[in-house]
Amino acid sequence: MSRIWLFLLLLSPVFAQNAREIVAESQTRSRAGSQRYEGTLEVIDAKRKITTKRWIYERLGSAGASKAVLRFVEPPEVRGVALLIHNHPDRASDQWMWTPAVQRDRRIAFQDRRTRFFGTDFTFEDLEERDVDRSTYKMLGEETIDGAPCWRIEATPRAEARSQYSRLLLWVRKTDYVFAQVESYRGPKLIRRLKYSQIERVQGIWTARTLEMHDVERDSRTILKLEKLEYNLDLPAGQFTLQALRRLS
Amino acid sequence: MMLLRLITWPYVRKHLVRCTLTTAGIVLGVAVFVGMHTANQSVLYAFNQTVDKIAGATQLQVSAGETGFPESVLERVQEAPEVEVAVPVIEAAVQSGIEGQGNLLVLGVDMTGDRSLRDYDLDDADEAIIDDPLVFIAQPDSIIVTTAFSERTGLQLNDRLTMQTMAGPKEFTIRGVMKGDGLASAFGGNLAIMDIYSAQMVLGRGMRFDRIDIALREGVRVEDARRALQARLGPGLDVEPPSARGKQFEAMAQIYSMTANITSIFALFIGLFLIYNTFNIAVTQRRSEIGILRALGATRGQIRRLFLIESGIAGLAGSVAGVALGVVIARGLASYLSGFLGEIYGVAQRAEEISADPRLLLSALVIGVVTSLIAGWIPARAAAGIDPVKALQKGRVQVISEGENRLRMWVAFGALGGALACVFFGHQPVFFYTGYLLSVVAVLLLTPALGSWLTRLLRPLLKWVRPVEGALAADSLLQAPRRTSGTVAALALSVALVIGLAGIARSSYDHIRRWMDAALNPDLFVTSSESLTTRSFRFPVGMAEELAAVPGVEEVQPVRTARIVYQGVPVMLVAADVGKIAARVQMRVIEGDPDRMYQQAMRGEGVVVSDNFAMLRRIATGDVLELPTPRGLLKLPVLGVVLDFSDQQGTIMMDRRLFVEHWGDDTVDVFRIYATAGTPIPALRQAVLGRFGGQTRLFVFTNQELREYILGITDQWFGLTYVQILVAVLVAILGIVNTLTVSIADRRRELGVLQAVGGLRNQIRHTIWMEAATIGVLGLCIGFALGAVHLAYILEITRRDLAGLRLEYQFPVEIALLMLPVLLGAALISALGPAEGAVRGSLVEALEYE
Repeated sequence: MSRIWLFLLLLSPVFAQNAREIVAESQTRSRAGSQRYEGTLEVIDAKRKITTKRWIYERLGSAGASKAVLRFVEPPEVRGVALLIHNHPDRASDQWMWTPAVQRDRRIAFQDRRTRFFGTDFTFEDLEERDVDRSTYKMLGEETIDGAPCWRIEATPRAEARSQYSRLLLWVRKTDYVFAQVESYRGPKLIRRLKYSQIERVQGIWTARTLEMHDVERDSRTILKLEKLEYNLDLPAGQFTLQALRRLS
Repeated sequence: MMLLRLITWPYVRKHLVRCTLTTAGIVLGVAVFVGMHTANQSVLYAFNQTVDKIAGATQLQVSAGETGFPESVLERVQEAPEVEVAVPVIEAAVQSGIEGQGNLLVLGVDMTGDRSLRDYDLDDADEAIIDDPLVFIAQPDSIIVTTAFSERTGLQLNDRLTMQTMAGPKEFTIRGVMKGDGLASAFGGNLAIMDIYSAQMVLGRGMRFDRIDIALREGVRVEDARRALQARLGPGLDVEPPSARGKQFEAMAQIYSMTANITSIFALFIGLFLIYNTFNIAVTQRRSEIGILRALGATRGQIRRLFLIESGIAGLAGSVAGVALGVVIARGLASYLSGFLGEIYGVAQRAEEISADPRLLLSALVIGVVTSLIAGWIPARAAAGIDPVKALQKGRVQVISEGENRLRMWVAFGALGGALACVFFGHQPVFFYTGYLLSVVAVLLLTPALGSWLTRLLRPLLKWVRPVEGALAADSLLQAPRRTSGTVAALALSVALVIGLAGIARSSYDHIRRWMDAALNPDLFVTSSESLTTRSFRFPVGMAEELAAVPGVEEVQPVRTARIVYQGVPVMLVAADVGKIAARVQMRVIEGDPDRMYQQAMRGEGVVVSDNFAMLRRIATGDVLELPTPRGLLKLPVLGVVLDFSDQQGTIMMDRRLFVEHWGDDTVDVFRIYATAGTPIPALRQAVLGRFGGQTRLFVFTNQELREYILGITDQWFGLTYVQILVAVLVAILGIVNTLTVSIADRRRELGVLQAVGGLRNQIRHTIWMEAATIGVLGLCIGFALGAVHLAYILEITRRDLAGLRLEYQFPVEIALLMLPVLLGAALISALGPAEGAVRGSLVEALEYE
């Protein structure tokens, strides 16, 4: 018995290294200079009522050092409201919201990252790009998700990341290193499950066109569909500033 | 118990009316105590409830008085390692504009993070808004109201509510209705939630927040976090738990508490004398019973205990009834008090329910019983000292013995000497209040002697009016001083209370009028709120130029007033163009050279403070004030002291430029407008309203209207005084009825003999009426003397401990003159019943003993 434990102990660093490399490889493969899509967001609440919003998402840069603007276009009552995100590899992102009706921007405080992103099942933190170095990883084994063989990896956010989650379980497809599923835990409790589907190759980058977030506690779901997805566009850097946000409104 | 059942109970049954009247003295005393304090506590409780319910999970709050602070402070707070959640808040009570609904408490919050602190338990809402702050934020006309408000006004989801904003009238859409007894029940349910940036726009707050509500990270101690945040933010911003706001409000309402205490003590004193009087008479009437008991072996201790238990029971019964009556009084008083405290201090609270503190009620019971026991102590001692042999003999015993009289006089003169000695050490509160108490005690102890002396003086007059009846009435009072002295003392206390209250009211009105003449001389006042004490809405400073451009306007003086917390108490800061004000206003300068003082203040080299501020905080010219500002602590010397009644807690006046520089706030509350000579004021007012009426929320007061408004607030404040005067007069009447009822019962045999030897019924009636009138005159005379002393002390208490106001001594002659017919009339009316009882009683019964 003790030999088996010794064997597992010796084996674990190998798995740990592999797990991090897998996530890093996934990040490398999805890297693009910029990204743009039109997203349709369907929120299905616990009573199965559906509300829909649409936004245009633009991102400049990648892998934790990107800047993104998310601008709502529908429904009419939220049109023009925009969110500016500046991701940082070493710390939590900065986020600002622009409200055209009052012509004011407001900073989304770090503390608010755990709150729900405007009625969806995503939190502000879920919208951040997670740099590979902000967590530690452990390989837990292999599993099949939607018929695709996956690595099952446990990611533990580092203390400095100040995440609302204590750990995440990642399922990464072996074939294309695309995430198939992410489960977010607080202690032993599963809080959210994010499923990636309709995985397609767009301009050489394997991308999930549909993301479904399930808030387990509330039993509500949010489905985000990525339409008119494009990578490596020529987006001016000046577009990702507060001044630009105000100007464009 | 046996003695109580055999002796006391039959006596109570036989003299039920008298016992009830006796107990009524305690009932009123306790009722006033409970009523005033419960009403005060209820308002305070309502305020704290509003604070608590709005605070939600808030553990600490960052504030800077009423001036608020720039938005940038929020990030500094959010970055603190102790802070889990920090959300900005704007809070303002505004007129709802809906008839009968009064103020609406508008809470401006940032919905992105606020739900971590407050539970918006939505009953009914747009599909999106239940979970989606985006819709709420994206549409700045969104408001959430409470179920209670919705039910009261009939306004429902998606209905529109028009509010006067600084950008003119604006329609808001109800996008959510909150239920529950948490946040939704704050401010009696008259609560509206809106986005913080909309609130800034509506209220003209610029880019400032009123407050930041904070929840701490798990495991962080509140006090540790408070210290750390205070150090991080500096002394210009206050970091306190939400409960600290209640303490500040309490400090502001302290004047009322003190007034309530003085009135309650007087009311209880009056009750004490009523009880003392009745028990004294009861001892006399029951002399033979006591004699029999003593002859049968009852000890002196048993007799003393019997009377003490009786007075204790009377006190308990009176206290229980007094507590019940007090709660009823508090119900009526609380909403009144809530209204005017809100008006005076501009503080959001709605006292709709009574919060009766069990400790207060228990204290009232104890005070009532103890007062009654004290009142019963001397009669009980007298009863215990009765010689059984003498008790079974006939004869009068109402005459105060020489020994007793001498002792009383010695004690009275001792108290008087003590009171005079205390005057020399009056700067020490202990000596001052001891002197006050001793002077009252001295007058009360001298009451029997003074009463006899005055009666002797009055006897010829009474005899001149009615030779037989007058002489009989005077002799009756002279022969039974113990019977009447308690009532005269109670009456004198009532009159003294009235004189004190009326004197302070008269002096206050006089000073306020003089101050208004000097300080409030502009022709028009343009304000952002119909209530001058509400500073929720603010004008942009640019409006001053636009106002100056209105034809007929000679000068515009922008003024910003705001409460800041100075040494834990909110005081008023007035920021104005000192040069312009000094040129137009001739305020009475108490300390400092007027020219130099204003010149230096203009240059921002210091501040001018009001007399009451200086007095309450023991500050003099040259002292340095440390004022908290959002930029840090501002140290400024006091350049002078002026007489100013702008605020009960005191005023600090500084140049506007200094305020804008340190508070970063250039908004305006009031524009003082002087018209060019010959301009008709009503036309100018219309011109101002016509120019700005549709664009912004504004109210234009003429000079006369503003004076009326201020006098209206003063009336509200003294409205309570009038209630107290009414109570005092009621107690006085009660005392006379009690005494006469007792007196008639006590003299049934004497009156019977009078009738038997040919005395006419009318003669008996007139005797009793004249006796009543004489008691009234005695009470009035002694009361005026005691009132004159009481007024001097009350003015001093007002100056040094209550409001810091140097009010001149003015004896309220008009009220004193009014008291003459009121009390004499009341005395005569009180005598009607007992007099009829005396003449219509059975002559046989009256002479039965003979």
